[in-house]
Amino acid sequence: MIELFHVWKQYQKPHWALSDVSLEIRTGEFCFITGPSGSGKTTLLKIIFRELIPTEGQILVDGVNILKIPDHKIYRLRRTMGIVFQDFRLLFHQSVFHNVAVPLQVVGLSPKEIRRRVFNALRQVNLHHKMWDFPQRLSYGEQQRVAIARAIVNNPSILLADEPTGNLDPELAFEIMSIFKEINQQGATVIIGSHDRELIRHFGDKIFFLQKGKIIGKEEKQ
Amino acid sequence: MIFRQLWYLVKAAGSNLWTFRGRNLVSVLIIGFSFLVIGIFLALSNNLTYLGQQLSNNLAISFFLDKNLKAPELEQIKSQILASELVDRVTFVSSEDALSRFRANFPELREILDNLKSNPFPPSYEVKLKDKILSLSAIVYFMEKIKGLKGVVDVQFNQDWVEKMDSLSRIVQAVGFFLGGILILASFFIISNVVRLNVFARKNEIEILRLVGATNTFIRIPFLLEGFVLGLLGSLVSLFILFILVKVFPIYIGSSLGAARELFTLRPLTTEQGLWLVAGGVVTGTLGSVTSVSRFLRI
Repeated sequence: MIELFHVWKQYQKPHWALSDVSLEIRTGEFCFITGPSGSGKTTLLKIIFRELIPTEGQILVDGVNILKIPDHKIYRLRRTMGIVFQDFRLLFHQSVFHNVAVPLQVVGLSPKEIRRRVFNALRQVNLHHKMWDFPQRLSYGEQQRVAIARAIVNNPSILLADEPTGNLDPELAFEIMSIFKEINQQGATVIIGSHDRELIRHFGDKIFFLQKGKIIGKEEKQ
Repeated sequence: MIFRQLWYLVKAAGSNLWTFRGRNLVSVLIIGFSFLVIGIFLALSNNLTYLGQQLSNNLAISFFLDKNLKAPELEQIKSQILASELVDRVTFVSSEDALSRFRANFPELREILDNLKSNPFPPSYEVKLKDKILSLSAIVYFMEKIKGLKGVVDVQFNQDWVEKMDSLSRIVQAVGFFLGGILILASFFIISNVVRLNVFARKNEIEILRLVGATNTFIRIPFLLEGFVLGLLGSLVSLFILFILVKVFPIYIGSSLGAARELFTLRPLTTEQGLWLVAGGVVTGTLGSVTSVSRFLRI
């Protein structure tokens, strides 16, 4: 369960990136955060995995106040999460395989297990045939799929994705969403920042509407 | 699992060293150059120390004695001289020895000696001081003590010259410490900045590792190993270039220095100095790397 209580975030005075955001996402939900560009979707996601610290407010993840976790222990929270960044954040001097393997290497899995899981993750995003290519040789959409494979490779209990289908054609976008749905059906909570109305309508169980940093609406499928 | 992770980190460090080989080569060269400057200074300083030792090795004091002293009295004075820790050896020069030495050294003055009815030279003890002793006050104290003994009539020692040597040695040491200190500080800043630039260029990688759940130690270790290797290679490069300079310097530049050649000769580093230089490179590389990474671990 992810709970946000009166979260405010300010980068620069006098504008607020987030204003008094409170929300609750239950374990196993497939949730969208939507809104126009600059509405605060990315900021909200970054606050959930504590890349950003809110100016005010509290965040509980499975009952733990993540703002109270010391910096050197934050890795424990992040190992339970899979994150697809808007800018992908790939290691361009490493192969696709190594990029996807990073979350597994940091937890010390055996090379055999790493190979198996990386191959499966890449097959899920239909990129297993480019395992030994380097990211700069891939198209924008392919790079995005590498980022998705890295996010799902460690079977996270929470999957956060910031515009994960932004550069994909509709067919592939649906495929990727299906992968997220599959992970969600295995028990993971999925939170996606997106403004793709078609996908949101098709996949979203719970939708939060953001505008100018404020939650202006919420929809929940029964 | 820990060994597996360690092995992974060692491989990651090796891979990073190779992947960023151009940048790392520049780091190695800069570290090498910084330590080369220190090494050259040490080599020059070694030479000055060596020259000082050579000069002090040649220091001798002559105690002139009464001509009428008997053997037991001479023995007593000799034992008093030998009792001093400063003394390496004592040679007795009789009046006859002194006369023949004078004749040999100044043959043109032979006639003057022939006109004299008696031998004008007193017997003496020539005292050779031990190596590595340049404490002037100790020498002066020793001379005064022996001069006060019965039967010792005079003492010959170029105190003025020794005083000059003493103060030159102190100045060289002071300048050495000052310059050495500045150079070491400057090198440390240069090296840590080079390593910092290296780390800065890979700040994205550190961020990604943090965001996928790597511990700070996991992120630090490859950088630490890379810093260690860069520092080690840099200091070895400096030792290698210094070795070549020591060999080549006298051939190409030494001859053009003329009289100053003796002063500006590069004398090889001792094993201990070489090891300190390598240790310095390793410590600077490692510390520079670790402190630079730390600033990116707050994500």
